[in-house]
Amino acid sequence: MLVSLLSDKLLEKITLLNHAVSQRAPLPILSSFLLEATKGKLIISATDLEVGIKAEIAASVEKGGKITVPAKNFLDLITNIKDQKITLELEDNVLKLKGVGLKASFQTSQPEDFPKLYEQKGDEILRLQKKDAEKFFKRVSFAAATDSTRPALLGVLFEIEKDGLVLVATDQYRLSYQKTPLKLKHDLEKPVVVPGRIVKELSFLKDDKEDIIFYLSLGNNQVVVSQGDVEIVGRLIDADYPEYQKIMPEDANTKTEIDREQLLNAIRICSVFARETANIVKFSLEKDKLTVSANSPQVGEDLVEIEAKTIGEDNEIAFNAKYLIDVLTTLEENDLVFEMTGPLNSGVFKVQGDNSFLHLVMPIRIQG
Amino acid sequence: MRDCKSIWKAVLSEIELEVSRANFFTLFKQTHLLSIEGSVATIAAPSGMIIDLLQRKFFAIIKNASDHHIGNDTKIVFVPKTVVDEIVDNKDDTLFSEEAIKTTVGHLPRVRPDYTFENMAVSGSNQLAFVSATTVAKSPGASYNPLFIYGPVGVGKTHLMQSVANEVYSKKPNTKILYTTSEEFTNDVVEAIRTNTTGRMKKRFRELDLLIIDDIQFIAGKEKVQEELFHTFNILVDKSSQIVLSSDRHPSEIKMLEKRLISRFGGGLTVDIQSPDFELRCAILLIKAKKYGVALSFETAKIIAQKALDARGLEGLLLRIVTEAQNKGVTQIDEEMASSVLSFEKEQDTGFHPEEIIENVCTFYKVKQTQLKSPKRDAFLVRPRQIAMYLLKKQGLTFVEIGHLLGGRDHTTIMHGVEKIEKIIEQRGNMDFMGLNLQTFGKKVD
Repeated sequence: MLVSLLSDKLLEKITLLNHAVSQRAPLPILSSFLLEATKGKLIISATDLEVGIKAEIAASVEKGGKITVPAKNFLDLITNIKDQKITLELEDNVLKLKGVGLKASFQTSQPEDFPKLYEQKGDEILRLQKKDAEKFFKRVSFAAATDSTRPALLGVLFEIEKDGLVLVATDQYRLSYQKTPLKLKHDLEKPVVVPGRIVKELSFLKDDKEDIIFYLSLGNNQVVVSQGDVEIVGRLIDADYPEYQKIMPEDANTKTEIDREQLLNAIRICSVFARETANIVKFSLEKDKLTVSANSPQVGEDLVEIEAKTIGEDNEIAFNAKYLIDVLTTLEENDLVFEMTGPLNSGVFKVQGDNSFLHLVMPIRIQG
Repeated sequence: MRDCKSIWKAVLSEIELEVSRANFFTLFKQTHLLSIEGSVATIAAPSGMIIDLLQRKFFAIIKNASDHHIGNDTKIVFVPKTVVDEIVDNKDDTLFSEEAIKTTVGHLPRVRPDYTFENMAVSGSNQLAFVSATTVAKSPGASYNPLFIYGPVGVGKTHLMQSVANEVYSKKPNTKILYTTSEEFTNDVVEAIRTNTTGRMKKRFRELDLLIIDDIQFIAGKEKVQEELFHTFNILVDKSSQIVLSSDRHPSEIKMLEKRLISRFGGGLTVDIQSPDFELRCAILLIKAKKYGVALSFETAKIIAQKALDARGLEGLLLRIVTEAQNKGVTQIDEEMASSVLSFEKEQDTGFHPEEIIENVCTFYKVKQTQLKSPKRDAFLVRPRQIAMYLLKKQGLTFVEIGHLLGGRDHTTIMHGVEKIEKIIEQRGNMDFMGLNLQTFGKKVD
């Protein structure tokens, strides 16, 4: 193998690929990049057997070949060199990297040990523009569980309704719901659950011009997301999604219009005092204001008042500040609506003038 | 149809011998035999990538093993499918369920909220203490006042006392509760004297409804602190506020404690907690394992319980095993794994240097080493000398060696001394006469 390419192009891709590198893999091959040089391009892959990512980089290839290198060392080295032309050459199972005044060699392992990411890509099911992906998927994916005994909650639900695709994610304590106008290429028999990890990767795809395409292979239980020269492969989550419709809110008793940045700021101030008490912050809704407060017996207490236009009865509710900060940092719109029915019913965040999105946060019951 | 589960278990156990541990855990652990139809065995693995590796690298091994257990010429077909283990139950399929709405009332300063009566393991050794503590928590100030709990380290004194605080707090959040240690109490007193705010401090302590002081033995020898505690004590008992105290020994055995305090400490109920017995240690392990979210079988708990005697030691061992399990990515801890981790555990070092033992005996009895080794046979020297002989003998030294160490004595003298102490131990039934034992002399005596 003998390849020359620009180090910055390589860096851009392997930074993304690093998301699929297993951090504490029992198998060394899962902490490696697979490099494959063929006509005019270098293909790099990484996988932790759950998610796999493959990317192509244009390169001048004098001699083809295939090898795996330790991912962490390779990435650290490329991160630290300035943009320049580098050559990669394989000699007796040692990968030699040369740049301007730079020589490095990596011990390699057998490429045959590296798993094939997929047999068949599957059928194209959805094609969307990068900006849509950013908007719709970001609003949902953060609510998916990262660690749960219920596999379904690790994923994002893709459900088809007559107006288009509906996305749902929840970790049992909060739930995001997003209606989209996106149409699938062909119908699905039942909704699919795509791993949250894959959906989160969408926001790391850098290319703004290329479309993002979802391929589904139900027989292989596999989903592939591709954009330009990058492909992300994962397995569908084979579990029934909980019936989220049951907890969708009906009409609220109290509705209040708030400014996202003001509220976020208030919660951040209060969370200083909430840290020791399971992160609890309290909302008190009154006619013209929303009071955010927190207290902890050891440290002290504080409250922040922000302007709000409230319709309905005065109300109080408490939340874990982490969940509030998550939703408020994810949304980009500033005019939000907060709705609630009572202190033990979930609180609902909406974007003003946008009926497609809902975010539910479960309250915390406080005594005394 | 044959039982797929047990067949596959047999196949896997054979494969386990052939492949590396890492390969087995990452690739084979999550495979399942779905069905055997005719000569076709269908095997499920979670992803296409795993299947690819299994087929290319391990096919021969799998084929070989399945030939043994399923039958010759079995055709093997892989399908990508995640089979959910039975451990993962989907019992609450509802979201945002009522239980999931956490009830939180904040928690008391210095008190761990997870120390409650519910998660305390109770057995013969701590039952009396447990019952008295629950009674006190139910009606503070009305039953046993003060409640004095004593026992060696790691038996759950602090857990019990904090449970009292948590229980009272959760029932009546407005109760004025103070949980403190005698060290903090001392600091408060010293600080108040330094800043000339004793009045405020007195008020703070004397308005309490429930005062809990942990490790009270440390106020020994601190006169001003004892005086302050004495007055606080009287006032609180008079207005029937509850007091709970703990110590590592019976109040009458705490040295340099004023008589009037000793008598007051004994004025309510004094209960002891013994070191946990084997069954209780197992129970503690199971509770702790649940806290860490791992499945621990009873057999495994038994293995671990043999290795440590107090609750902290147990938790330490358990934590090590849990960490090991997480590193390997398993949720079920089996006996084999526990034993392999524990075998690295160094045998507890009980060997003490002979000089150290002599030194500590001398410190304890306040005699000089030269006196102990001198030919003098005054009554106050004989007993310490004999104890030193006995302890050295227990360390495996010969009579002659001990004789040399103790000033060139004849080995028959040593034999007599050891016998003498053994007789005393026999009469009193245990090593703990006068509160001493080998450990006391091995460590520095303060």
